[in-house]
Order: sequence, then C-alpha cells, then structure tokens
Amino acid sequence: MPSKMASSSSSFFQSPTLVYTSAIALRAILLIYGAWQDANSAVKYTDIDYLVFTDAARYVSHGASPYERDTYRYTPLLAWLLLPTSWSGPSVLFSFGKALFALSDVIAGWLIARSLVSAYGMDAPRALKYASFWLLNPMVANISTRGSSEGLLGVLVIALLWAVLRRRVVLAGVLLGLSVHFKIYPFIYGVSIIWWLDRERDGGSSSASKTTAGSKDTSIVTKIMDFITPPRIILTLTSLVTFTLLNLLMYHLYDTPFLQHTFLHHLTRIDHRHNFSPYSTLLYLSAAGEVQGNFESLAFIPQLLLSVVVIPLVLAKKSLPGAMLAQTFAFVTFNKVCTSQYFLWYLIFLPFYLPGSSLLKAPRFGGVVAAAWVVGQALWLQQGYNLEFLGLSSFMPGLFLASLGFFAVNVWILGVIVEDVGASS
Amino acid sequence: MKTRITYLQPPSSPFTSTQASLTPTSLRISDLDAAKEVRVTVDVAEVVDDEVRGILNGLHEVHIRWAREDPYVVVAPFGSRVSAGVGVGVSPLQRNEEGGGNGDGDGDGEGVCRLLRRMFGMKGVGCRNYTDSFTTPPVLSTRFASTSTYQFHSALPEHNLGEYIVENICRGEGSACAADWGTADSIDVDYDAVSRSLVVSGYWGQPSASEGWTEEIRAPKESRDRVEVGLLGTEKAVEAEEIKVGGLLGVVGVDKELKPTLFSFPSRHHVLPREATFDVFFPRPTGTHPTMTISLSPAALEYPAAPEDTTCALHAYLTLPSYIFGDKYQLSTDDPLFLESHHLLALRAVSGATDLEAPDWFVPHWGSNWLLELATPPEGQVPEEWNVTVPLHLRYLRPSETGYRSAGVPWPVVFWACTAEEGTKMGTNPFDRVNLGWDGMFGPRTMFYQVHPSGEKARHVEELDVPVLRLEEGGFFSSKTVELGTMAAIVLGLLWVLWKLGSVARSSGQKKSDKEKKSQ
Repeated sequence: MPSKMASSSSSFFQSPTLVYTSAIALRAILLIYGAWQDANSAVKYTDIDYLVFTDAARYVSHGASPYERDTYRYTPLLAWLLLPTSWSGPSVLFSFGKALFALSDVIAGWLIARSLVSAYGMDAPRALKYASFWLLNPMVANISTRGSSEGLLGVLVIALLWAVLRRRVVLAGVLLGLSVHFKIYPFIYGVSIIWWLDRERDGGSSSASKTTAGSKDTSIVTKIMDFITPPRIILTLTSLVTFTLLNLLMYHLYDTPFLQHTFLHHLTRIDHRHNFSPYSTLLYLSAAGEVQGNFESLAFIPQLLLSVVVIPLVLAKKSLPGAMLAQTFAFVTFNKVCTSQYFLWYLIFLPFYLPGSSLLKAPRFGGVVAAAWVVGQALWLQQGYNLEFLGLSSFMPGLFLASLGFFAVNVWILGVIVEDVGASS
Repeated sequence: MKTRITYLQPPSSPFTSTQASLTPTSLRISDLDAAKEVRVTVDVAEVVDDEVRGILNGLHEVHIRWAREDPYVVVAPFGSRVSAGVGVGVSPLQRNEEGGGNGDGDGDGEGVCRLLRRMFGMKGVGCRNYTDSFTTPPVLSTRFASTSTYQFHSALPEHNLGEYIVENICRGEGSACAADWGTADSIDVDYDAVSRSLVVSGYWGQPSASEGWTEEIRAPKESRDRVEVGLLGTEKAVEAEEIKVGGLLGVVGVDKELKPTLFSFPSRHHVLPREATFDVFFPRPTGTHPTMTISLSPAALEYPAAPEDTTCALHAYLTLPSYIFGDKYQLSTDDPLFLESHHLLALRAVSGATDLEAPDWFVPHWGSNWLLELATPPEGQVPEEWNVTVPLHLRYLRPSETGYRSAGVPWPVVFWACTAEEGTKMGTNPFDRVNLGWDGMFGPRTMFYQVHPSGEKARHVEELDVPVLRLEEGGFFSSKTVELGTMAAIVLGLLWVLWKLGSVARSSGQKKSDKEKKSQ
C-alpha cells in the first residue's frame, strides 16, 4: 500500500469529528435525497415498512391500536416512537423516524468504537477505522434512511454488548429484555452473556474462583453453586422483569392483537414467499400439503442447538462479541425465513471480529469469502428476478438450488468465524 | 307466473306490421332484428324444487348476475354491465324476520351456495357458505340500502339454468320454457322476502339467427298466468336523464291487437356512443406483480351528455378472484405522483380478500372488489390512447406439473357515474336494473354511462400464467427431492459447524491442560 494513502487514511481516522461528521453527512444526504426522490418520482425511496410504521403511528395518534394496520408486526413502542410523524405540520416531520433510525446507526457506531477502545485496548484511530465499517457503510446508511427499523435494534444490541463489557449488569438486563421485546431473536445473546459473565469477568471478588480453581475434586453441586453468581442472577432477573413488564403493559393496552402480531405470528405464519432461507421451497410444499414428512417443524432444532447452546458454550468465553456474531450468523443462516434485512443483524458485530480475523490477515482469502457471499446472493437474486419479473417458474430447481448454495456459503463462512473466534483468547 | 318479453329494435332496422301477427292463441314474430329481454316472475310457492324453495325462505334477498365471457352488445334501456361470470349479492333474514318465513333458517349459510349449484350447475368448492366465501361490501351509508350484505363472484363460462327453469319453474311449457337461456348474454335472478317472488331475466343483445328473431309466443294455458310482449324502439328523449321508447304492446291471449305506445322515463343506465370503448390487457411478462392496463378510446374520455346539474367521474369496478389482489395501502395513497403515473384519481372503495401475504389456498373469500376513480386527460389534449394502469399482485398458487397455473381475470366494468343533488327517482323505469355490485356505492339519483368493452377480443377474461412450484409424482421434480435435499443440506451444514466448534473446544481443552501441566 502506498505510504501516502495509508497516512491520509489514518489521518482521517485520527479525527473522530471528521468520522462522525462524515457518518452524519452521509445519512443527511441520503435523507434529503430520499425526500427529493419521494417528491419527484413515482418510484419511492422510502421503504414500504416505513409506511407501515407511520400508518400505525397515525392509528395510535387517533387513540386506536397500531395493529389495526395490516402487517404491523412490531412492538407498539415503535409506533409510539414514531408519533411525531403523525403530527400535522411541515412534511419534514414525516422523516422523523428515518432520522431517528439513522441517528441510532451513528450512536451504535460510536458505541462500537468506544467498546473497541475500552474492552480491546485498541487505540482510538484504529477503533474508529473498524467502527467505520458500520458508520460509513453505505448499505447500513441506506437501509436506515429508507426507514427500516433495524438500526434501532442495532443500537440496542450494541448498547447491550457495551453495557456487559463495562459490567453494567442491571443496564444490560434491561437492554436485553427490551431488545427481546422488540424483535425476539436477541434472546440468544442472553445465553452467551450469562456464560461469559463468570467470576473472572463479573468484576466482583475473585477469591472464590481462585479457591475452586485450586481444588480439583469439585463436585457437580459446587460447580452449580459456583455458576450461580449475583451478576448472573441480576442479569437474568432484570431482563425477565423488563421483558415481562413490557409485554404485560402492551397486552393490557392492546390485548390479543399484540400477542398475535408480535409473537404468535412467527409461529403460525403462512406467508412463506421465496426468500434466502434454505427452507423456503420446502415450506411452500408443506403449506400446500404436498409433503409427507414433518422435517420443517424440526427446523428450530439445528438453529437453536447452534445459536443458543453450542456456540455460546464454546466461544463466549473466548470473545463475547465474536460469539454473538457467530450466534447471529447461525441464527440467520438456519432460520426458516431470511431476507436481506437480517444480514444487518450480524453485520454490526463485524468491527469486533474483523481485527483478528483470518479474513484480514489473509486479504486474498477474505476477498474470496466476501465474493462467495456476494455471488451466492446474486445467483439467488437472478432466480428471484426470473420469477417475480419474468414470470418464469424458477422455484425448482432455480431458487431451490440457489438457496441451498447460499446456505452452503454461509455455513462455510460460519465455520471460518468459529475457527477465528476460537483461536482468539 | 308472469312473463314479459321485450324486443328492442335498433333505430336503423325497419319494422313492418307483417313481422308480428297476433292471434287469440299466440303471437308470431318473424325475422325481427332486435335485442331481447325475457323476464319471468313466479311466486316462490310455484317453484317445484323443494330445496331451492327452502333456501329462498331463509333469505331476505338474493341477487344473482351472470354474464357471458365473450363480447355482447348492450342497448338502451338495457345499458348496464357486470364482469363476466356469476356475481351474487345476498342478505340473510334477520332473526326477528325469520318467524315470518317457514325457511330452514340456513344456519350455516351454505344454502346460497347450494342454490348456485342447483340453479346454475356451478361446480367446484369455491362457494362454501356466505360467512366464509362471501365478502362484505363497505356500507357507505345506510341511506343507500341497495347493497346486499354479502357478495360473491366466480368464473362461470357455462351454466345449465335453462334446464333448471324448464324443470322447476315453467314445467316444460310456455314462453319462459321456449326461451333459449343457454344463449343469453346475461341473466339476472332476483328474490326478496317482501314480494316473495322469484324474478329471472335473460338478455340477448342480438338475435341468435342472422335474419332475426323468428318465434311463436303462445298464450298461457292457465288463466292466472300472463304473457306480455313489447316491440319497442328508442327515440331521442327530451330530458337528458330520460329514455323514450315507442312501439307496440300486447298481452298474448287477451288483447285482440297490439297497441301502439310511446312513453319516457328517467333511466339509471345509459349507453355511450359505440366508439366509446375500453380494452384490457396485462403487459407481458406479467411476473408475479401483473399490471392491469385499461386502454380507453378518445370517445370514452368525452364527458357524457348528462343533465347539466350533474357532476360526472370515470370509474372502473374491478372484480378480482382471490389469486390476484391489489395492495390497498398502495392504491389508497394520495401521492399525486403515483396516481398520475397510473392515471388514477383515487381508490373509492374496496372489499374482500385484501390480505397481502396469504397463499391462495388459505384465502377463504372468493376475491375482492375495487372501485377506482380514473383520471381523464385535460380537455382538448385527448391522446389516441389513454392507458390506466392498476398495479396488482399474485398469490402463491398450489404446485403443478408444468410449473404454471392459469388464472383468469375478468375485465372490469368501466363507466361514468354522474351524480345529481336532486332529480327524479329511477324506480319508475320498467327496465331498471340494480344490485350490480357497483351501483350500490353511489347515491340513488346517480346516472351511469357505460363504456363498451372492446369487441375485438374473443373473451372478456384475461388469462395469466402464474409461475408455481413444478411438482411431479416421481423423478427430480418430486417433493422427495425437496425434502431430502433440504434435509441433507441442513444436516451437513449443522455437522460442519459442529465439527468446527468441536475442534475449537478440543484445542482449547488441550491448551488448558497444557497450562495446568506447566503450572504444576
């Protein structure tokens, strides 16, 4: 790499002001551009989901339930947060939610950088450089400025990680409960956090662990007693209480529709339109009653076995963010439904993983991995285009093989991540 | 039983008195070029079929509107249209009304579906009962009570109503039996609990033979039956809202000779000039998000010759079977850019299956209805062709052996609706027609000007090829391939990741014991 370029890029990351200003400017430009495109073209920049959120907010502002809007499948908190979009006034108010999501992105990036410094001992410019993978990522900025709420979830999850790394157990518990209420899947992090939060790391006295470490003949009972530490209890209780209170409140306010749309829908959903998941063809078949077996109903077993049991146990104590990345990656890869928004769920952990990864140590290998991921997706998208726009029957074998191919690529990448995280300690 | 037969001659075709000869027992019509309507009215008690009588006794009202799929001509005063297929509006008896009838109550509401199967020979499982399969149209205002509580529509290219009528209504004789119901262009069946009479009307836009109608209408055998015949033609009315008809009227077997007549009445339905046409197509490839395109001729875009105190707007009423639907949030937008790009003004009403995600086989309702107000070009700038586009979406259909399934979409009804603040009621029109599905969404004083569906295509139903999962009994395209393929991929993927995790666990265990050895 020419030294000039290296110095100019490092001088860019020397200045937090410059990085954050760029991150904010990128989003501001996209917001303004989006408003312009919406006002001047019949093809809208704004995501359809954002219209769902803002419609729901309008229902709430009229004292109605957000679930009166079809396909609103989120916590009422989201509709409440977006209430300003329903206020009469300048049309800028409509973009309030997008600005909020974009701001969440930036805060998430800031928390990534801070965690990299405090927990990994990185110097600030290096931390900013890796955080910029999120902060200055055009895909991330695009998704949140189009009005997808994933950025909001991103900041919750990173705040959770930050709180755990700073041993703020109560805050972590509240954030965990809140994010599970928001989108269910973050419950997988609870396991790795609790496993990670042992006596060595919980910031309490380490005398107990020393004595047990010394004696080899520890019985199961003492091992269990040793596992139950005050921080672990506090984390479990605060997260459960937060989750339960929020759900009770929402259930009290919106009754069965709240349960149906935010939680039960995911168990009973019948809208298995083609998506990246390896299960999608099978689910189409089984929904049409053409399958004898019942394999798809067992889909949660490989998914949860990896993301809730084995990965946390093997990797959490090596690197908590690394384990969370692998968990999320496994959860998304083995999920029954998978759309491109789900990729943001693991993208946010990459700044923690990349510094020590084989992908950056051997850039050529990293390039191959990235290319395989992109090509796997492109092949699927081509089949999807054939179906949706050309009306070709590409379900079989096109979409079927493409989704299995993309699954294979993801499994391979997951293996690489597991190896890399396992090698770090 | 009362039978009314109306021949409506076009102004261009001549009529000579020899074409109709009345004797004490019959009326002979020969080579008459005319549109024809046959309307049969019977008391429900006269219907032979016990089952249908029982079903009707449980209903407050039922209105069935059938129209053929291939093009046909409408002439005033029979100027209204419905989409091809069978449309049904039904209102069950209210609880407190039920005591009046001796009906079987029709508790599960499947009676009306049995009625369709018996009278029209409709097959298939599309109609189960009115609570599941029927949709509830929006009640805009209780003032407009002309909309039935439940609505239904189904494709029905062929029917055997003629056989049913012969067997159960006219019992094999008389003019109602003589009519060739199988060749009718449209058929209405109406019943209401107040009059307790069943009215079946058939409409033929043109004679079946090229020379014209040649038939003998016999006087009824029983004295309580009555056969009225009208030989009419339309003339220019003085008032814009009126239709003026003149010609000959007579009661067969009663009157000695046909009597001349001339009368006019305000009419709900009017016909636009022949050049006012629309064509419907879906640009290929249709994909899974087909766009219905309604192409209007310049004459169709001309403001109709309605009374001066009315305001007119061009509308399209879409009848979409469950496998195709609109996104009501997308279409009800007030974004001028979106609306302008599609030449739409607004979505005025929608009812039925508008779920955005469910596959077709999970949708119990027959489909959905959409009333759209269409944009027209600015005056003086009418282009050769004005295309209105309606973005639609397809549901997942069941797998098939070819990987495709055919899905028919009937053409919409396109009309100008002219509303007046005040005006005469339309009820005095002897040829009035209501309960068409779309008319009930307007006030009772609204006048409709039908745009003619273009006669160039053989059918007024568009067939779409819907891509579905290709599935065969054996071989590669069998469900086993998908099942085993998915299972193998998941299991292999799981084992690969577990193996990687295992080697991490092993090597860290190794390190730990190494450390411990060193520390010892």
